[in-house]
Amino acid sequence: MALPLNYSFRNALVRWRSTIATVLGIALVVFVFVLLQSLAAGIEKSSSNTGDPRNIMVVRKGSTAESASLISRQTLTEIRYFEEIARNENGEPIISADVLVLASLPRRDNSGEANVLLRGVTARGMELRPQVKLAAGRWFEAGKREIVVSAKLAKRFANFGIGQSFKTGSATFTVVGWLDGGGSAFDSECWLDADECRSTFERDMYSSFLIRPTDEAAGEKLITRIEADRRFKLKAEKEVEYYRKQTMTAAPIKWLGGFLAVMMSVGAVFAAMNTMYAAVGARTREIGTLRVLGFRRRAVVAALLLEGGLLALVGGVLGCAIAFYWNGYTTATMGMETFSEIVFEFRVTPKLVLEGLAFAVIVGLIGTLFPAIRAARLPVISALKSI
Amino acid sequence: MNLPSFILKNALRNKRRALLSVLSVAMSLFLLVTLQVALRELTNPINDEGSSLRIIVRNKVSLAQPLPARQLQTIDRIPGIVAVTPFSFYGGLYKGDEKFTSFAQFAVDPQRSLPLISDAKGVTKEQLEAWIADRTSCILGKMTADRYGLKVGDRMQFTGQIYPCDLELKIAGIYYGTADDRNLMFHQKYLDELLGNPGTVGTWWLLAASIAEAPLVTDRINKAFANTSAEVRAESERAFVLGFVSMWANIKTLISGISIVVVFALILVTVSTMSMAIRERFRELAILKAIGFKRRELFVLILAESFGLAMFGALLGAGGAWALFNNINIQKMTNGMFLMFEVTPQMLGLAFAVAALLGLLSALLPMINVARTSVVQGLKTLD
Repeated sequence: MALPLNYSFRNALVRWRSTIATVLGIALVVFVFVLLQSLAAGIEKSSSNTGDPRNIMVVRKGSTAESASLISRQTLTEIRYFEEIARNENGEPIISADVLVLASLPRRDNSGEANVLLRGVTARGMELRPQVKLAAGRWFEAGKREIVVSAKLAKRFANFGIGQSFKTGSATFTVVGWLDGGGSAFDSECWLDADECRSTFERDMYSSFLIRPTDEAAGEKLITRIEADRRFKLKAEKEVEYYRKQTMTAAPIKWLGGFLAVMMSVGAVFAAMNTMYAAVGARTREIGTLRVLGFRRRAVVAALLLEGGLLALVGGVLGCAIAFYWNGYTTATMGMETFSEIVFEFRVTPKLVLEGLAFAVIVGLIGTLFPAIRAARLPVISALKSI
Repeated sequence: MNLPSFILKNALRNKRRALLSVLSVAMSLFLLVTLQVALRELTNPINDEGSSLRIIVRNKVSLAQPLPARQLQTIDRIPGIVAVTPFSFYGGLYKGDEKFTSFAQFAVDPQRSLPLISDAKGVTKEQLEAWIADRTSCILGKMTADRYGLKVGDRMQFTGQIYPCDLELKIAGIYYGTADDRNLMFHQKYLDELLGNPGTVGTWWLLAASIAEAPLVTDRINKAFANTSAEVRAESERAFVLGFVSMWANIKTLISGISIVVVFALILVTVSTMSMAIRERFRELAILKAIGFKRRELFVLILAESFGLAMFGALLGAGGAWALFNNINIQKMTNGMFLMFEVTPQMLGLAFAVAALLGLLSALLPMINVARTSVVQGLKTLD
């Protein structure tokens, strides 16, 4: 016969001081784990959220990111009229040759400078990225040294308010609008006119091409055609694929989260074991009584494991709840691929919550297992005699 | 039986609990030290005298924006400079089979760079001459050479990630003893040639005549190119590296925040378990009181025990971290991501201070209880 659930529950409540400490301890372990993993999830989410599945992105072979890619103007003339590329109503091929420039700009809180990704974009390029909407102000006009910055970056960098201006290179740009990338990688960019960008920063080369093929099959054909042509040395892939792979920044954060979780949980297991050993020790006579009453060894073990697991679960829930407080909170760091400030949000996903809870329960069970076995092994008679 | 041995006996009478307590303290302090070390490594660059003497000049727009090669003539005329060389980060993938290359390749003018790399040991005069003479050769840091099992005379292939050209370089010499023994240096001329002489360089790297002269030199350079088409930012190597720290943005704060949470969490559980050990002995303490022990003496007993356990944990955790990080080759283990991983005396001090606090806190609650409770009440306690 199993011991009633209430037995485990009440036992935990009796020694409330150590119960609270254990629950809080486990909660914090789970909190750290879930929070760090939610950062990594945020970076991955912002990457996987970017691009249009119909678009093809072309960068130089060997480049890790658009910003480190260089493509000659001659290449553009050669590729531009490939028949796989769709045309708009004016008969122009839908291809955008963008220029990306990193500009080191001062932060708003005077804590130094960081690189911001400036994208010189064409009218075609804006049509190809419908994700990007205007959040405030208006779009830039070519030739007027105007720029539209991401609304999320505007919170982090100096002089990014609408109407303000900042100097970089040989030009002073006026901010005329804020863009909203809808949680995509474009939230970490500032857009200006492509030709103006090239002349201001003396760039003869383009950084990347974004192409809309006529249809899915033509897209496949275009990818093989560009990749196979040895003159170009270009890499073509679907835009969504390109962005999905931009998650190098997430890897070390994930690693750190895992490392901390493991180390902390070892400490937590030690502490949980101590508590449970003490609990068993204090209840020696009681356990002896239970055995005499006819409860079997495994019922005693089960009750204790339940007690430990339950405590840990409560801790896990609490930890996830604290981490959830940060869900959706915007933060930023340096992107490993772009070498520029990337903005993203903490994402506490259901998967992370489940992982956190499972993690907590495992810590609780491991911490309880040995004390529980010890309790079950107590010789009944001497247990009854102990004070 | 005297007092110290009584305390020791008490602390060790439940060996398993003493061990678990010590281990959980040790674990938390080990973690604390590790996080501190990692944070210091991320935010505090190598600080030798040379890093204040060496100056890096980059385009004011950003590091990624090249500089015109013609600037060299102007820089050459600026007083207070011992040596100046082009310094272009090539950023290639070694062999093309990795996703991420752990060492940097810089294009320099070998002849001009010699004073800047004067602290490099292990390269003979002949090897240096061979490097200067052969445009397709390079010198390589020992750490990277060891990692890939390379020796003088070997060839290395690189795929350009930033520059649209690939490289094949012959190793002319292998150096060690610099601040970062991973880097590879090759000829800017060779890079120019492969790129079709674009007339640009990545950055300028120069050596100031003295520490006092260094800030003057950076000022002069910044002024010399003000209002030109390529304005520059000159700063000491140290300031340059510190600039990267700002780019880490919120991650920095996050890690320091998390180390506080980690320590707090572990203190919480440890304090609770350690004070439990004393709570359980309540009746005994009451007996001691009954046979004439003073309150103060009981406090000493309790405090000494938890303090001792905490200190022992600190010794194990912080000392263990110190011993571990001093004796492993962190550069090799993390593929050069971390270079020094040095445990400073301040960190050890912090760890021991936390341990002391822990010992104090875990003794506090039981002490208050002991003080409050009368002998009779204490004797009645059952658990």
